[in-house]
Order: sequence, then C-alpha cells, then structure tokens
Amino acid sequence: MKILIGIITAKEDEQLFILDNGLPSLISTDGYDPEKMYGNYSMLKQHSLLINDKLMSGPGVFKFRYGPVTSGVREAGSFHLYTYGEKILRATIDMRWKHREMRKAMQNKPPEAALLMAERICSNFAISHSVALSKAVEMALGINPSLRTKNWRTLLIEAERIYNNLHLIYKLTSSAAQKVLAAHIGALFEKALRLNEKLAESRFLMNINNIGKLNHIPEISDIQKVANGYRELAERFTKLYKHSLANYNYLDRLHSAGIITPDQAGKLGLTGPSLRACGIKDNLNNTTEHLISLPVITKNQGDALARMEVRAEEIVNSCQYLVNHIRASDSWANIEEKDAEPTKTSGTGYAVVNSPSGALGYYLDVTEGKVQNVEIFTPSYPGMYAVSGVLEGQIFTDFPFVFDSFGVHFADAAC
Amino acid sequence: MIQWWPLYGLKRKLTERKEYVSSVKLRFSTAGIFNRSLFVYVIDTGSSNALNFEISALETPQYNIHRYGIYLTDSPRHADVLLVLGHPVKIMTAPLKETISQLPKPFYIVTIDDNPNQPDAGEYPVLPNHIAALTGVPSPSQILGILLDIAKIKRKQP
Repeated sequence: MKILIGIITAKEDEQLFILDNGLPSLISTDGYDPEKMYGNYSMLKQHSLLINDKLMSGPGVFKFRYGPVTSGVREAGSFHLYTYGEKILRATIDMRWKHREMRKAMQNKPPEAALLMAERICSNFAISHSVALSKAVEMALGINPSLRTKNWRTLLIEAERIYNNLHLIYKLTSSAAQKVLAAHIGALFEKALRLNEKLAESRFLMNINNIGKLNHIPEISDIQKVANGYRELAERFTKLYKHSLANYNYLDRLHSAGIITPDQAGKLGLTGPSLRACGIKDNLNNTTEHLISLPVITKNQGDALARMEVRAEEIVNSCQYLVNHIRASDSWANIEEKDAEPTKTSGTGYAVVNSPSGALGYYLDVTEGKVQNVEIFTPSYPGMYAVSGVLEGQIFTDFPFVFDSFGVHFADAAC
Repeated sequence: MIQWWPLYGLKRKLTERKEYVSSVKLRFSTAGIFNRSLFVYVIDTGSSNALNFEISALETPQYNIHRYGIYLTDSPRHADVLLVLGHPVKIMTAPLKETISQLPKPFYIVTIDDNPNQPDAGEYPVLPNHIAALTGVPSPSQILGILLDIAKIKRKQP
C-alpha cells in the first residue's frame, strides 16, 4: 500500500514522498499525473493554513468563530463554523494562529540546532520529530548509529505514544462528562509523564536524542523501576478500559461521531490510528525493523469510538513492549558503539517515524554542515482536513469528540 | 449492564501532600486580595504544546488543585489570574490584548515562555499586572507553587 505524505518542491524536479508498506521513498512525477494517482496531491501541494475556506449561505445560515481563545480548544487555532443552529454545515479551520515559521527557521542551521527546534515544533511529539530529523540527517551524512541508540529511540517513541494516547482518552472522557473515569485516566497520564522523566530526565522526552547517538542512556538501576511502572500503568488502564466499555453513557457519545470511511481516509492520506480505525493497516510498525514489530491494531467502524479503541489497545501493547524491552536493555550495554561520525560532508536524507498520530516525515539536504530545504510532513495536517470534512453534518455536541479523537494539534499542523 | 465507577482512591490514595514551593518571586504583593480562592484562565499564544499538556496534568488528582480553592475557568470574565502560555506569535497579540481587556479587576498575569528563541517572535509584549514570568516548561508543581503564592493559600491541607 502506497500513501503520499508529502511533495518535495525544493529542487527543479518535483518528487513525491511516499510511504510504501510503512517505509519512506522518493519517486519522480515524470510520466504520470500524480493528481489522478493520489487524492491528497493537491491538498499537500497547496499546503494552506486555512482549510475548507469557502463561504456558505442559505436560509438562516450564519457563521461564528470558535477560537483562537476558548477553553474548549485550548490550543491557539480557530474554527469558522457555518450553521443554522443545530448542525455544523461547514467547518473552516484556521491554523495561522499557531504558525511559527519553524521550518523556515531551521534553514542554514547546524543539524544539532535544527534538532532543538524540531523538538519544539510540537513538544508532545518531541521525540518523534527529533528522531525523524536525526534519521534524515544521518542518511544525508552517512552516519550509522548503534543498535542500542536505535533500540532506545524506538522505546522512547512508544513512551511518547502512551502518554499522548492517555491524554487523548482523558480529553474524550472529560468531554463525555465521565468525571470519575477522566480523573482516573488523568492520574495515569500524569504517571506516564513521570515515567518519562525517570526514563529520559524530561517529562516530554526532550534533549535525550541527538544526531547519531543519544545524549545519555537511562541508568540501569532506574530501568527496573520504570519497567515496573509501565507494567502497573498497563494493569490499571486495562481495568479502567474494560470498565468503560460497559458504560453506555460514555460509548454513546463516541459511537457514530465523526465517521470516516476507508475511501475518505485514503483520499486524505491519513495514517496512524485514524486510518487504522477504518480497518486499514498502514504498516508504520515496519519502521522499527531492528526490534520485534508491534502488532497493528485495527477497527472497522471509523468513528470516534473506533479511534479511541485503537489508541486504548495501543497503550496496553506499548506498555507491554516497553516492559519487555526495558528489562532486556541491560544486554544492549555490550553492543559495540561505533563512531557515529559522518562519512560524507553533504547529502540528502529523508525519514519517517511512527508518531502517536501517524506518519511523521522529514526531508532535508545537508551542505557544509548546514541543513537546507527542510520539509516537514506531519500527521496533524491531513488530520485537520479530516476533522474539517467529518464535522460537516455533525451536531454541535459531537464537536469535541470529533476533534479530540483524531489526535491532531495546531502546533504540529501549522509548523 | 452498567457498572459503577470505583470512586475510592482518587483523593485518599492519589492526591499528594507536597509543599509546592516556587522558585520564582512575585513582582507585586497580593496580600489580602484573594481570600483562599483563585480562578485561572489559560490562553495559548504560540506554545509548543508541552505547556498545554502540563496544564492538563495540573488538573489531575495528584495535584487536586480544587482542595486549595484553585479552579480553571472557561471565561476570562471569571478569572483572577491569566496564565499566558508560550511566546506570543505576532498574530496572537491582538487576541491576547482583547482577553486581558475582559479580565475583571483586580487581576494578575503569569507568563510562561517555553521558547524565548522562537523564530518570528519579537520582544515579549509588555503586559499589565505582570506578576510572574517563567521560562522553559515548568512542571505542574512549579505552576501550582506560583498560584498558591498569588492566592496566599496555606500549603498543608488535612
């Protein structure tokens, strides 16, 4: 299965950044019309910060703005909702409020400086951005990081998935007024952030990854404590999750909210839990080829409930994955550390990482120690299009379930 | 069949008893202004999102901010304190000023700048009643420490 996740326009010949069976590749557009082949080509080509910006009129139809200052959507971003009072007829999403020119700012910076910026694009995806950029730089400069570094990066991405998924379910349960469940899930979310701190000395897993290496390897004495912490987290979450599946008040709020069909998901180029909730495997777990691949979880309904279920099962799987591999990590200490030194002075690199919300891709050139032509393809960008599309026809009370269930962030989409 | 939620454990087992000491000194004295209660409105002006997650973490049972009389409000018109997240991007300056104009007096503003070197960001705007300025991504404990300092609320709770 091929998914178009980005278009490279930095050079004379346009290239397509393709996810082929979970692995990235660049292909030329010579000889065929990419617009006919990929439904999301024009969307990616346009790369607008204003989504679905078309006026609408009709009997009693009016527009109101929700955001950028509202407690409902705490991030700086706004929705322009067309309605006659009950249904949302059209949802324009304005991402300019969070546009910080981060991609532009990375140009002509040393890779290490660009790495720090990448972690600050969307800090709840800090390790995904960091690993994607470092893998792209390593490809460009012929750096081969050690197996230990690769393994730890994979584990850190799973740690990021756990707390992001917990946060998403925390928001969904809060929106559904399940106060007790939300409080329990919130407590697990805080616990996951504290486990991150023990693992990486940062609640958001920042400043641990570097080009070709890790800045520090977690201490062995703490590792067992962290592994036990993830085991306990998985046990507590499993109990809560099973309990929540017997609560119809909660399930009814998510069921049939924001349905996206496999056909729509394909046209938008969705990846991650949003795609897997439609029953399609994106095989992004192939990016962890150096460790045993995680199982791919799919659901078929394509609604907010299916997206929540995919993420909930991912939490348990990722916790188990971390427990198993963290306990085995002391054997990695014997892995010979190669000199992670560049074998080239310039080159082109690209990489994709399986972030909590889907494929996160980086493309860049490195010339004389500076990164250039940086292109960042985040899962939140097509995700915002999906949110805008499925909001049409929904009633207002479904808004938080539709928006939160996609796990999209303005900071990520508008970089 | 609907099962009842396990209500036990949220306050008794999860809520922590800590001092929540803040290392940031307040620029003004707030003695006698807030009487054991503080309402906080949060505005994101261009943060990297870590701060939004930290505010979510602040609402978890471990911190249990309601025991101190601290609440996050849904409207700036109900707020005593405005918590500004991130280094304001240019386009967010106007909504920030508009929000400040909605705050009832007396009010204070706490800013958290998680990325002072953010591109496309000039000097931090001058804000009225700017009582505390934090940088980086402070933990919920540190944020709670500041709020307790402003409200003059005793740390130790039964």
